[in-house]
Order: sequence, then structure tokens, then C-alpha cells
Amino acid sequence: MVFDYAPFLVEAGKIKEFARALQLENPIYFDAEAAKSAGYRGIPAPPTFTTVIDFWNDRNFYQLFSNFLKLNPNNVLHGEQAYDYHKVIIAGDIISAQVTVKDQFHKKGKNFFQLETVYRNQQNETMAVGRATIIEMPEVTA
Amino acid sequence: MTELPAIIKKPIAPIDLVKYSGASGDFNEIHTVPAIAEEKGLDDTIAHGMFVMGWAAAAVEEWFPDRQLQSFGVRFQAVTHPGTVLVINGSMLTDKEGEILIKDQQGQTKLMGTFVLKNGST
Repeated sequence: MVFDYAPFLVEAGKIKEFARALQLENPIYFDAEAAKSAGYRGIPAPPTFTTVIDFWNDRNFYQLFSNFLKLNPNNVLHGEQAYDYHKVIIAGDIISAQVTVKDQFHKKGKNFFQLETVYRNQQNETMAVGRATIIEMPEVTA
Repeated sequence: MTELPAIIKKPIAPIDLVKYSGASGDFNEIHTVPAIAEEKGLDDTIAHGMFVMGWAAAAVEEWFPDRQLQSFGVRFQAVTHPGTVLVINGSMLTDKEGEILIKDQQGQTKLMGTFVLKNGST
């Protein structure tokens, strides 16, 4: 069972906003010339930018949770996150991401989900692979 | 094992989390609305895990400005409230494999992780 995010155009302005929000100062995230001088073909996305692809998507993370995993997206904790980086995502790339549930188990009264997300560009090259452990919290009964 | 210079961040302000919510698209109000956080049994709003991981990635970039990540994995250990000063420590096990640890000033671990750098520069 897989969930496909909608293809996502990585815009330079969105990279800039994300870099500002993380208080990054490296000019490669703000200036195409600085990025090219550093050896990139354009403005690169910071390593954790894939989260933007998940959340600011036409078929987004909330739909993944509500419709696919049948979880309340506001009732989960992010336990672990890992990435393998194959190629750097650059402004202008169109990224398609696909989520697979690798494992699902119950431990200490909580439900755990291990999700793998593969991010591919418009040439179908794998850019990055994300692995997340999501923990569903027991509903609070007040 | 080589210790990397510690990085001490500015205290996390509520507005930092508002900005990160907008930039990332993660609008879970547990990060921005104190009343919602309190409903969930928390004392205050909490930073997004990915905000803290974003700072961790930035620390690796500060330590190694000319190298790229090959892989990076973290475990989120404890929630982080606004006002917290995060201290980022790292060490290298080999010339490309390192460990990273983020704590608050009271020594509570918030994030622990490992990273592998690509060979050479960009």
C-alpha cells in the first residue's frame, strides 16, 4: 500500500522562506550566484526541506494521516527521522514523493508507524529517502 | 574521536515557531497556540521536531561548510518549549561519520543523532 503526494515544484522563494524560518545564513539558500559559486546548478533546498514537500502539497501530510493511515494528524508524535541523500534538490525541480508503510506495531499502549518516503525528481531520479517513526498517542480522556 | 565546537543557539521565541509553521506547512496548533498545548496536557507550546532537526542540520553545515550530508538520522528525546536555549554538541568518529547531541542548558537531551558526510566538497 502506497500513498503518492502530488508532484511539487520546489520554488526558490519557498526555499528562502524555509531557510529564514530556520535562521540559516548561508547565501547559497538566498542567492543563485552564491549557489553556483559553491558548485550547485541553482539554489539548493536545505536538508530538511522535504518536510515542506509533505505539508505544502496538494495531497498533503494531513490526507496521508486522515485518509490513508486513519490517524488524527494532531494526535501523533514524531519519534525518529532519518534521511539518505542521493542528489541535492534544486529550485525548479519537480519532486514526486511516495510513502510506504514499512512497519506498524503496538508497544507500551501506543501505536507505532514506520514510514518510508522516496523523493524523485522529474527525471525519476531518486533524490532522497526519508524514514520516519510516528507514534500515535492514546486519546486523552478527561 | 574529535569534538566539534559547541553551538549555543538564541532562545527559541514563540514567533520562531509561527514562522516555521508557515514555512514548513505544519500547522499543528500545539506548536503555536498555548491553549491547544495546554489541552494536550503540556505546560506551553512545543517546537516542531523538524525545527530542531533543521537546526541540527544547520549545525553540521556550520561545522562542515564545504561538505554535504550523505545520511542523517535523529531521535527526538524530549519536547522543547519557547524560551529554551539549545546547545548543540557534535563529535566525529571517523573523517565522515559523526554524532550530534542537542540539550537544553539544564542538560536535558532533546535530540540525538548520527550523520555521514559525502566525500570531498560539492
